[in-house]
Amino acid sequence: MRYLITPLVLLTCGSLVLYPVVFLVSESFNVGEPGVFPPQAVGWSNYLNLYDDSRILANTALVACLATVMAVVFGFTLAWILTRTAIPGRAMLERLLELPYYMTPLVGAMAWGIIAGPKTGMVNQVVTYFGGSGDFIDVYGPYGIAWVMALFEGTVAFVMISAAMKSMDPSLEESSRVMGASKLQTALRITLPMVAPGVVSATIFVFAEMLGSFAAAFVLGIPGRFYVVTTAIWQATLSYPPEYGRAAAMGLSLFLVMLVMLGLSRLILRRGSYATITGKAFRPRPLEVGGLRYLLAGVCWLYVVLSVLLPLAALLLTSFQKFATVLLAQSSFTLDNYRSALDMGALGSALENSLFLGFVVASIAVPLVSVLVWLIYRGNIPGGRLVESVVMFPQAVPRLVFGLGLLWAWLTMPIPIYGTLWLLGIAYLTVFLPLGMRTMAGVVLQVDRGLEECARVCGASWAHQMRTVTLPLLRPGMVAAWLLIFIAGVRELGVSIFLMGPNAKVVAPAIVNSWLSSSSELSAAMALLQTLAVFAAVAVLFIAVRRVAGEEKA
Amino acid sequence: MIASKAGRVASAVAGAALLLLSHQAAAAGCASPQQMDGFKTCADVAKAKQEGAVVIYTTDPERGTAELLGAFNKMFPEIKTSFVRLQAGALYAKLMAERRANSHLVDAMQISDLGFVLDLQKRGGYMHYVSPEMAAYKDGYKSSPEGYWTWGTIIMAGIAYNPKTVSAADAPKDWKDLLDPKWKGEISVKVSNSGLQHVAWYELRRLYGPEYWTKFAELQPKAYDSYVQQFDRMVNGQGKVIHTAQYSGYLEFKAKGAPVEFVYPPDGLPAGPETWGLIAEAPHPAAAQLFMDWLLGLPGQVAIGNALHLNSPRDDAPPPPGGVSVSKLKLIFPSDWADFISTRPAFAKEWDKMTGLK
Repeated sequence: MRYLITPLVLLTCGSLVLYPVVFLVSESFNVGEPGVFPPQAVGWSNYLNLYDDSRILANTALVACLATVMAVVFGFTLAWILTRTAIPGRAMLERLLELPYYMTPLVGAMAWGIIAGPKTGMVNQVVTYFGGSGDFIDVYGPYGIAWVMALFEGTVAFVMISAAMKSMDPSLEESSRVMGASKLQTALRITLPMVAPGVVSATIFVFAEMLGSFAAAFVLGIPGRFYVVTTAIWQATLSYPPEYGRAAAMGLSLFLVMLVMLGLSRLILRRGSYATITGKAFRPRPLEVGGLRYLLAGVCWLYVVLSVLLPLAALLLTSFQKFATVLLAQSSFTLDNYRSALDMGALGSALENSLFLGFVVASIAVPLVSVLVWLIYRGNIPGGRLVESVVMFPQAVPRLVFGLGLLWAWLTMPIPIYGTLWLLGIAYLTVFLPLGMRTMAGVVLQVDRGLEECARVCGASWAHQMRTVTLPLLRPGMVAAWLLIFIAGVRELGVSIFLMGPNAKVVAPAIVNSWLSSSSELSAAMALLQTLAVFAAVAVLFIAVRRVAGEEKA
Repeated sequence: MIASKAGRVASAVAGAALLLLSHQAAAAGCASPQQMDGFKTCADVAKAKQEGAVVIYTTDPERGTAELLGAFNKMFPEIKTSFVRLQAGALYAKLMAERRANSHLVDAMQISDLGFVLDLQKRGGYMHYVSPEMAAYKDGYKSSPEGYWTWGTIIMAGIAYNPKTVSAADAPKDWKDLLDPKWKGEISVKVSNSGLQHVAWYELRRLYGPEYWTKFAELQPKAYDSYVQQFDRMVNGQGKVIHTAQYSGYLEFKAKGAPVEFVYPPDGLPAGPETWGLIAEAPHPAAAQLFMDWLLGLPGQVAIGNALHLNSPRDDAPPPPGGVSVSKLKLIFPSDWADFISTRPAFAKEWDKMTGLK
């Protein structure tokens, strides 16, 4: 069975990614008519012209680095507080801290534009009221973009790092405390190194997300005349004639950056053993932090307020306005935006499609990546690392560009799936493989080989060992990966823009289109309806998981 | 001989009459168009209903498009409508990719950039169908030969300002007033992929010379993807004036009660078309033809005005609610569309540099 699964998984994952990549690479060398395959004329000019875009590349690096540092700091701090310390309301906070991920980054960007816009943003109005300057804060710029991206990706880092922390034997920390180390020393010298795989995975994943992030830079960058690679690519694909070659070259150049990052992460991870799930039984025991527990809980609540409550409140206000305005004196209120959003029909079916795609893609992707990760990290298959690099490719290229590659690739296939949900499903599966890989890799590295070896020594077959030992150990990671992919599917924007058809629409591009072309107040209503639907879907899933777990225990 | 000559004259007259008849028939689209409720059609209505669907690609706003298609669907409930809304470049790229792969999903397309329109016509991408309603449109508003594409609406741009932050006395009166340094950092435009912005650049360059835009660049204008974003920022006090303010955007925001005023510059309002055409190999050809007849007819033109606040090119159509008819406005169009299209790269280069993209 093992020998059947291995080539099947490798072939599926490899071809899903490589096929569109061929088209992307081909287009990046195309100096003739754009979008023609094979190209009528080829050359290096698209790459050589990147020098002209050096300012945009520098902007991208600045924003991605700032946002990654902030997001990982947020994620690590929150994960440590919630998994290693005893604070009041821990279980509820854990659920609340996942909420930013359920919202599209577009929601955050739109909301923070209202909260911290220049001159008349809510914060500036408050400052002006108390006699300050209306230019106190301006979210339209690199720091604002990085802030919004970090707030919304911080929760991804939190989920990935906390999954690793949950799997860690607390006796290691207890030993440190017994030996006289302070809580901070223990966190920095024991906890941090032991969760290194999770942190490194999260850092690389978040950095790649930041490089390819579009919504925040789109909403908050363009008004401040600040362009990054993704917004420049957006403009390039919309121009006439479209500059696909330039867009492809810009997108592929980011792959090189990611290759370096991936190499670095391997170097770090090779330095030691990170197995924390061993044969020794342990019961996670949070640290007692005394009076600090209220402060630490306050930190978590502040994050919830900044990333969820404040943005949702700003959008709620906007969604009831006749025209979007932060100046309450000129506001007039209406229910028309919700009526329009529901009457348009497009939102309803788009939302259904997005939820359906998220569910199906997550359900297929998780078993697929679980096997793949196991093969690469444990199976020692020849060329495993190469396969990993191939599968990680979509993570390193902005989705807008990869979406074009997918469009060209699947249009040429003799299977008539263009313009249907099938194609969107395949595209989502392709671009979410890296997300699943990163999440599962962190978990797999923490499972001690000895556990499996014990099973084999006791006479278990490979399949029996997988079913009774490996998979149960991986289950928390698999649930986390499923959730991450489901939400990523529901809020997907980049590849959907080019692949959706008239009868196969999804919700994120519908909101962007509305923000671009209809009105901010309608977009706010649509975004809130989407957020509510996602919250409801996730709540149903949690209840279902809890019931299944309860039945298993019984 | 005489009889023979008379016969030749008779047959020449008969031939001329036939030619005239066929010309009239061609002009009308078909020999006997069917009268519908407010418009004429040459489409096979029964077949259109049997096809049961029409798919539109458009650059117009989603909400307005849904409302427009809803009006058509109300008249023809048997024909389900659906649409894809994207910006012009992405929409055209999608269509081109589909055509190359022989994947035909779309029946009719609206696009505002004539560059795409002429390119698609050159590639044979439009279905040839002479709607009987095209007779109500001036020759300059239609493809040559007639029947490939037609101006469905006219979009135009003037100047808009927020009366809460700019007094009427301080407000600009003409295009040159916008070069005043007091507008530095307070003025917005659209990005370079906007067809209307290209027309404004072309026409004001013609009127005032290239130095107009050189001076304008010193004001560091902010560029937005759409008029919605321009008006949004301005009514919130984040910017005072809009250069190239789309008239339909002004009508839309005015109707919502937003603080916005519009200036009709005496030198003229740069204007361009939103062009509609049927796509070759449309999957629902009869329904597409029926839709086009309805759209170009008075019911469709009124629906467009109501849903999208856009002006009709037809002289007999009313202006959009709260708006002024195009016949009462001084519109300035490029006189040579081919020359206009050829300036696209120069425009994009100057514009992207001015707005900080390059």
